[in-house]
Amino acid sequence: MNLNLIAYSIYLLLASLIIIKVGFICYKNGNVFVTHLIPNDKEFCIRINNLLLTGYYLINIGYAVITLSGWSSINSFEQMMESISKQIAIITCILATLHYFNLFWITKFIKNFK
Amino acid sequence: METSKIFIGYIIYLPIAIALTYFVSKTLFKNGKTFMIDIFKGKDDIALATNRLFEVGFYLLNIGWALLILKINHRNFNNTYQNLIEILSFKIGGFSIYLGLMLFINLYLFFRGRKKSNRKSQVVTQKLQQPQS
Repeated sequence: MNLNLIAYSIYLLLASLIIIKVGFICYKNGNVFVTHLIPNDKEFCIRINNLLLTGYYLINIGYAVITLSGWSSINSFEQMMESISKQIAIITCILATLHYFNLFWITKFIKNFK
Repeated sequence: METSKIFIGYIIYLPIAIALTYFVSKTLFKNGKTFMIDIFKGKDDIALATNRLFEVGFYLLNIGWALLILKINHRNFNNTYQNLIEILSFKIGGFSIYLGLMLFINLYLFFRGRKKSNRKSQVVTQKLQQPQS
C-alpha cells in the first residue's frame, strides 16, 4: 500500500475538519458583529455573513488541496507523521494570523461605529 | 512491522502538547469572560462572541506551533531511549514555556482593553456632566 495515499487521506480529513469547524464558529459569532455594524437590516446581515463564509471556505480548501501537489514521497510511518503535521501546522498558523487580523479590524470598527 | 523510537516519541509528544493547550485555553477563557464583559459594558452578546473568537485563535496558534516543532531530526538522534527522553523533555518544556508566554500576552491584552474602555467611559461621563455644572 502506498503510504502517500494514506497520508493524503488523513491530511485532507483533518484539514477539512479544522477548516469547517473554525468557519462555523466564526460564522455563528460573527453574526453578532455584523448586526452591530449594520443595525437596521437583519436580512442583509445574514446574506453578507453567508458570502463571507463561502469565500473563506473556498480560499482555505483550495489552499489545502493545492499543497497536495508538492508533497515529498514518503517511505515510513514517521515520515508520514512529520509531513502531515508540518502541513497542518502551516494551515493552522495561516488561519490563526488571518483570524487575529480580523479580530483587530472588527474591534476597531466597532469602536468607531458607536 | 517494527516501530522506530522516533515514532514512539511522536506518539508520546502529541497528546501531551494537545492536552496542555486544551487546559491552558480552558482556564484562560473561562476567566477571560469576566474581562470581556467588563470591556464591552452591558453588551453581553458581543463580549461572549469576542471571547469565543479569541479562544479559537489561541487554539489555532498553539496547536499549529506544537505541530510545527514536532519533527525529531535523525542526525541528532542516536537511537537510545535515554536520548529520546532528553529530546522529548526539551520539546515539551520549550512548548510549555511558549504557552506561558502566550498566556501572559493574552492577559496583557485583556488588561489593556479594560483600561482603555474604563478611560473612554470616564471621558464620556465627564462630557455629559460638564454642561450641567
